[in-house]
Order: sequence, then structure tokens, then C-alpha cells
Amino acid sequence: MMTLHGVDVYLRTPEIPDIPKTYGAFTLQMISNRGSRVYPPPTPEMELSDWQQCRYLSDAEVTDAQIDELVGHLSSLGWQWTKCQKLFKIDGDNAFSQPY
Amino acid sequence: MAHKVCLIRGDGVGPELVAGVEVIFKAAKVDIDWIDVEAGLKCVEAGKPIVPEETVAKIKEIGVGLKAPMTTPIGKGSVSPNVTLRKKLNLYACVRPVRSLPGVVTPFTNLDIVIFRENTEDLYTQIEYMATETVAHSVKIISEQASEQICRAAFEYARANGRKKVVGVHKANIMKIGDGLFLRTFKRVAAEYPDIESWDNIVDNQCMQLVTKWNIYDMLVMPNLYGDIVSDLAAGMMGGLGVAPGANYGKNCALFEAVHGSAPKYTGMNKVNPTALLLSATLMLDHLGEHEARVNIEGALEATLGKGIKTYDLGGTATTSGFSEAVASELK
Repeated sequence: MMTLHGVDVYLRTPEIPDIPKTYGAFTLQMISNRGSRVYPPPTPEMELSDWQQCRYLSDAEVTDAQIDELVGHLSSLGWQWTKCQKLFKIDGDNAFSQPY
Repeated sequence: MAHKVCLIRGDGVGPELVAGVEVIFKAAKVDIDWIDVEAGLKCVEAGKPIVPEETVAKIKEIGVGLKAPMTTPIGKGSVSPNVTLRKKLNLYACVRPVRSLPGVVTPFTNLDIVIFRENTEDLYTQIEYMATETVAHSVKIISEQASEQICRAAFEYARANGRKKVVGVHKANIMKIGDGLFLRTFKRVAAEYPDIESWDNIVDNQCMQLVTKWNIYDMLVMPNLYGDIVSDLAAGMMGGLGVAPGANYGKNCALFEAVHGSAPKYTGMNKVNPTALLLSATLMLDHLGEHEARVNIEGALEATLGKGIKTYDLGGTATTSGFSEAVASELK
């Protein structure tokens, strides 16, 4: 069974974004840049692209409305998102990869 | 003064290959202060990350490393130590030179090509999702800065090493956005090097031409996944992974590696060819400015192979240590 647990919000910004570490049911699990984890530290010495993958996750199942609210909140703070990808579990296992 | 070099002895046959290189370097009187650092399966078995942070920090501090093959554990959540090192050290350029060696008989005579593979992005970002229960989605990332970095590195290498031609390899006829960005960037960078002849090839055509017209190629530069595949194809043309060296360069450090696996089934059998690691180590000598030592060691290697002394992969009967001793004896 496929259950919804979070979202990867891809923000357009050249710096590692200082975004909320928690929001509602979600915790900011990590930020990655081109597949390399840049938050939490240690941050590798790398050229950052201006596309940051920000992963918000919840242990509990969440709803589309909660995700809409989270993404809307990031927009209200002035962050420009270019892509969002829902994060599912299938039969309790993560159905998404982890960054290096 | 001795050059400091971090050394990863690796898993499987790695330690045997390193021992062979050490014998040859000693005979060549190359003054290296080897600093052992940990990574690979042994770390995982000891409950540590596959590449501990101390290892990354030490290689950053020293700036140069030699790495024997490591084993990627099979199973959910396991990561490749090689990819981890490339990412954490920002080793953006994988350089794979292939050339004919005396005594290593292949259909590809007078082969001499250097392949530059972008090392940090493309499908190797490993960003993947199950979009539904039956559809998987893998994200391919191509950035202008990484494309420019690898193309510029290739053209600079061409100039510094007397190479005349650089070909950009892509699949922009199908992936018009991602590979299209790589191709545009390649052409823009190429225009800054009018002294180097350049053109582009679609990757499938490039593979066909490599095995039919290899003598017209000098250098190739391409995104990560094509580089992975084409460089192993080229290694096969050279005589196999047992003889093909590899180097990974970043802005602040470089890591040299045999690109073959750790061959666990041959562990302790003193059987595997040390040539790939040795030629990787001689690339390292060049990087350290020890050009004469590189020439001497490669000359000794070629003399050994030319005498028909070969390991099993090349049809011979020499052991790892026996082959290494034979190369070393050419240096005495």
C-alpha cells in the first residue's frame, strides 16, 4: 500500500536556504544539491547549483492539504519553488532515494 | 622530501595489488610517504560509514590519494564508496586514458585516447522516486557549471599534453534539454580553444566509431553516465579492466584508482593483474611532478609485458607478486 509521508520541494536559490526546520507534521530532513547532501552539515566542498532539493518528511501519514499548506508557507516566506515531488512509502518502505 | 599520499588499501584483492605497487615504487626509488586511511567494506563491518569523515578530511588535507578497489555492500541503503568519495571530495573530472600496451594483443592497434567523464551529476545524483506503485522516476541533472567545468578541464588537458582533438559526446537528439545544455556548453567552451580541433558525436554513434575508427580519436568528453559506459568500452579495447587506469581530479585534491572491482573471489590467491593500479599510480606520479619516475616505471611495465610476463587475465601465468617483482627487476 502506498502512503504519503512528505515532499521534496525544489527551491530556486544559489545559497543553501535557511528555511523552517519544522512545519506542522513535517521535519526538514535534509537539503541536497545535485544529489549531495548540503544540510545538515558537513557540507561537501562543491559548486552549488541554484536548485536546492529540500526534503520535508513526517513519520505519520500526511494529506495533500498538509503538503499544499507547507509549500504555500515556503512561498509566503519568499522562496521560489520550481518543482515538488511527493514522497511515498510502499508497504512501509521509503519509495524514494537518499542523497549522498 | 617525500610526497605525502593517502592510501586506501581496499577490499578483496586490493591489499595484494597495493603490495605490488609498493614493491615497484621502492625499486623505482620514488619517495612516497604513504598515509593509510580507511574506507570500504571493512568500515561497514566495523559499524562505521563506508567512507568515514576522517578519511575524507585526511584526503582533503593531503590533497592526493591512491585507492585500491573497494566492495560496495549489496542491499538496501548501501552506497558506493567510490561515488561517495567523488562527491565528498568534489572530484568533478574522471580521466580514463586508454592506450595499447606491448604484449597485450587486441584488435585495436595504436590505441591512444583520453576520456574525460563528468563525475558529479547526471543520473549519478541518484535522485529517484516511485511516482506510483508501478512507475519509477529517476532524475537526470545536467548543469551549465558542471558541464563547463568538465569541458574546460578536457581542453586544458589537451593543450597541456599536446593533444589535438576533443570530441563532445552526448544524446542531445533525444534529450534536447539536458544533453542539449551539455552540447551548447561544449561548443561554447570549444570556441575558446581554436588551436584544438573539436566536434561532437551522439553517444551511440561514438561507441560504433570507437570500435571501427579508433585511430581518429584523441580525446572524448561527456556527461557522467555515458562516460561510465564508454570508458569501460575503451578499457576493453585496451585489454580489459586489469590494465586500465583511472584518475579523479577536483579543484583541491586528486584521487587515483584502478577502476575494476575488488574481485572478492580471488582474494588471497595472488592472481589479479596489478597493472591497472600501477598505471593509476603512475598518473599520480605525473600529478606530483615525478615525470621521470612515471616514464621509468611505465617503461619497466612495458618491458615486462613485452617479454610475455603476464597475469591470467592476459593469458599468462604470472602471479600478482611475481608480475610486480618482474616489473621491479626492470628498474634495478
